Amino acid sequence: MNPPAIVAAVVPVLLVTLLIGARGVAAMRTTSDFLVASRRISPTVNAAAVSGEYLSAASFLGIAGLVVKDGVGALWYPVGFAAGYVAMLALVAAPMRRTGALTVPDFADARLGSAPLRTLSALVVLVIGCLYLVPQFAAAGQVLGLVSGTPYWVGVVLAGAAVSITLALGGMRAATYVQAFQFVLKLVLFIVPALWLVLQVGPDTRRDALAPVEFSRFAAATPVQFRLDTTFIVDEPTRVSVSGGPTQLMAPGRHVADAGSTWVFDAGAAVPRIGGGPPGGPGWARPLLDPSDAGYPLLSTWSVLVATVLGTMGLPHILIRFHTSPDGRGARRTAAITVALLGAFYLFPGVYGLLGAVLLPELYLSGATDTVVVALPAKVDQGPVGSLFTALLTAGAFAAFLATSLGLLLAVSGALSHDLVPGSLRRLRFTPLAAAGAVVLLALPAASIDVGVLVTSAFAVAASTFCPLLVLGIWWPRLTARGAMVGMLVGLLASAGVIGVDLLLGPPPGLTAILLGQPALWSVPLAFATMVLVSLGGRPPAGAAAAMLRLHLDERDASGERR
Amino acid sequence: MTPPRPRRVAVTSPQTRLALAGRRTGRVTAPPPLSSAVLERARRVHGRQLRSALGALALLALLLIGLPLALAAAPGADQVRLAGIPLSWLAVAVLPYPVLVLLAGWQLRRAERAEQVEPAERAERAERAG
Repeated sequence: MNPPAIVAAVVPVLLVTLLIGARGVAAMRTTSDFLVASRRISPTVNAAAVSGEYLSAASFLGIAGLVVKDGVGALWYPVGFAAGYVAMLALVAAPMRRTGALTVPDFADARLGSAPLRTLSALVVLVIGCLYLVPQFAAAGQVLGLVSGTPYWVGVVLAGAAVSITLALGGMRAATYVQAFQFVLKLVLFIVPALWLVLQVGPDTRRDALAPVEFSRFAAATPVQFRLDTTFIVDEPTRVSVSGGPTQLMAPGRHVADAGSTWVFDAGAAVPRIGGGPPGGPGWARPLLDPSDAGYPLLSTWSVLVATVLGTMGLPHILIRFHTSPDGRGARRTAAITVALLGAFYLFPGVYGLLGAVLLPELYLSGATDTVVVALPAKVDQGPVGSLFTALLTAGAFAAFLATSLGLLLAVSGALSHDLVPGSLRRLRFTPLAAAGAVVLLALPAASIDVGVLVTSAFAVAASTFCPLLVLGIWWPRLTARGAMVGMLVGLLASAGVIGVDLLLGPPPGLTAILLGQPALWSVPLAFATMVLVSLGGRPPAGAAAAMLRLHLDERDASGERR
Repeated sequence: MTPPRPRRVAVTSPQTRLALAGRRTGRVTAPPPLSSAVLERARRVHGRQLRSALGALALLALLLIGLPLALAAAPGADQVRLAGIPLSWLAVAVLPYPVLVLLAGWQLRRAERAEQVEPAERAERAERAG
C-alpha cells in the first residue's frame, strides 16, 4: 500500500481524537469545578475508557501474531488480560479509589508514610513503563514498515514524535471521552475487518483454518523477507532465489539469511526449519502455550496467566483511570463492565491468528508475525477493497498504540518529575519529550522482539512488585514499610532481573527457559512471602490499621454522613 | 543597630496550610480520624469483603488452573468438533469470557451488599435518632 493511503487512514484517527479531546475539555469548562466534572463519569463510559487505554498494540496485533508463531495456546494471553479485571474488581478497585492516591507511589506514601518506598515505587513505574512502551513503539515501526515500505526506524521515530507532541500540546489525563471513543473505534476497526475476512476467504480457507495441516511445503512461489539474521536448516535440495538473483539449488544443511534480504522459495519447496514448530504442526493446534517447544505446556500456560491476571492490578496507566469514577462503588462497577467490554474484543484475535496461519504462514520464517493482522486484507483481496481494510486496520493499530503510549508516557513522566525529582511544571512539560526520546532509543534495537512477549514481562514485573504491595496494603493491617520495600526489591530482581538475563544470554533449554523467560509463577509468591515475613518481624506504623480499614468504608460512612 | 526584621509570614489556619501543601506537592493529606463506632463497623465490612473477595478469587483460580489442566488431561477434546470448530479451541477462545463476565457480576453484587448498612445497625441508629 502506498504512503498517501496510509496517511489518509491515520490522519482521521488523529483528527477525531483531537476534536473529541477539545470538545471534552470545553464541556468540562462549563461546569464550575473541573475535578467534580471529571469525577461524574459513569461506570460505563469509564469502563470504555479503561478498555481504550488497556487495548494496546499487543492486543490489537500481538496476540494474532503469537497465534501464528506459537499456536492456539497463545489465546490464553487475552484470557489473562480480561481475567485481571475480575481480580482488580475483587481486590483493588474500590479501596484504591478511596485512598485518593493517583499513582502507586502516592499510595505507598499515603498508606505507609515512607519516602524511600515512594522512590522505589517510582523506579518500578519506570521499569514497567519502559517494558510496556518499547514494544508499542516497535509495533508502530513494524506496521508502518509493512504497509508503506519505510525502514523500521522511521516508524519508531514518527511514533515517538506523535506521542510526545500530543502530550506536550495539552496532555490527555483528563480526556476520558477520548479514551472511551478510542475503545469504540478499536472495537469496530477490529471486528468489521475480521467478519469481512471470514466471509471473503471462501469455504476452502475456512475449512483449512479449522483443520490446520503442518506448514511443510510452499504452496506457491513465496518471497520471505527476513527481518533478522536467521539461521535455518534445509533437509533436501531447495530451489530458491536470493534478493532478485537467479534461482539456484540450495544444498541440504545449515544456511544463514542476512537481515533485510528477500528469499523467494519455489512452489513445492520444503519449508526450512528454524527454532520452534511451524504453524499447523502437532503442538501448534494444542490449546496450551508451549513457546519454543520447551516441553512444559501446562507450566508456561499457568505462568502467563499468573503474570497477566496479577500484573493487571499494578499497571500504572490503568490505576489512574479508576479515579475518574465518583467513588469506590463506581470504580468497582467500572472494573466489572470492563471485563465484559474486553471479553467482546478478545473474541476476535483468534480469527486473525487462525486465518494468518493458513494464508501467511511464511511470516513465521521472516520473524514478522506481529504484522499478520494488517497483512491479511491485501492477501485476501488485491483490489481497492483490500486496501481499504488494510487502511482501517492500520488506523485501528495506530489508535491502539496511541492510547496506550499516551497513558504510559504520562505515568512515566509523572514518576520522573513528580516522585523521583520533584520540580516545577515547566520541567514536567518537557519530561514527556525526554522520556519519549529515551524510549525511542530503546526501541530502535528491539526490532526482533515479539510485542506480546515483552508486554508479558511488563505484566510479570507489575505482578511481582505492585500486586503484593497493593493487595497487602489494602487487606493486611500489619504490613510495614520495611516489609514492602524488601518484598518489592526481591520481586523486581526476580522478575525484571531474570528476564534481562534471559534477553541478554538467549533462552536456555528446557524447564529453565520457562522459569527464566516467564518467572511470574515463582517470583510472585516469593515477593508476597518476603513482604509478609519481613513485616511480621517489624512493627506497623501507628494508625496503619485505621488507615487500612478506612479504605473499606463506603465514602458516605467514612465522612460520617449516613443514609 | 536595629535587630533584623522578622520574616513576614502569611497567617493561615493549620488546615489551610495542610491543604495548600497538598496542592503544591500533590500528596494526599491525612484525613480526619474515624470515630470508634465507625472503625468497628469498618472492621466488620473489611471481614465480609475479604471473605467475598477470596471466594471470587477461588472461583477464578478454579477456572484458570482447572481449564488448562483439563485440556492437558483430555487431548481427545481436540478431535471433538462443534460447528466444525475443535471443542478444545472453543474452550480457550470463547468459553472463558462469558464465565468471567458472570463471575464479575456475581462478585460486584456481593461486594456492594457487604458494604451496605446492616439491618441491626439501622434499627439501632433509628432508636438513637428517635
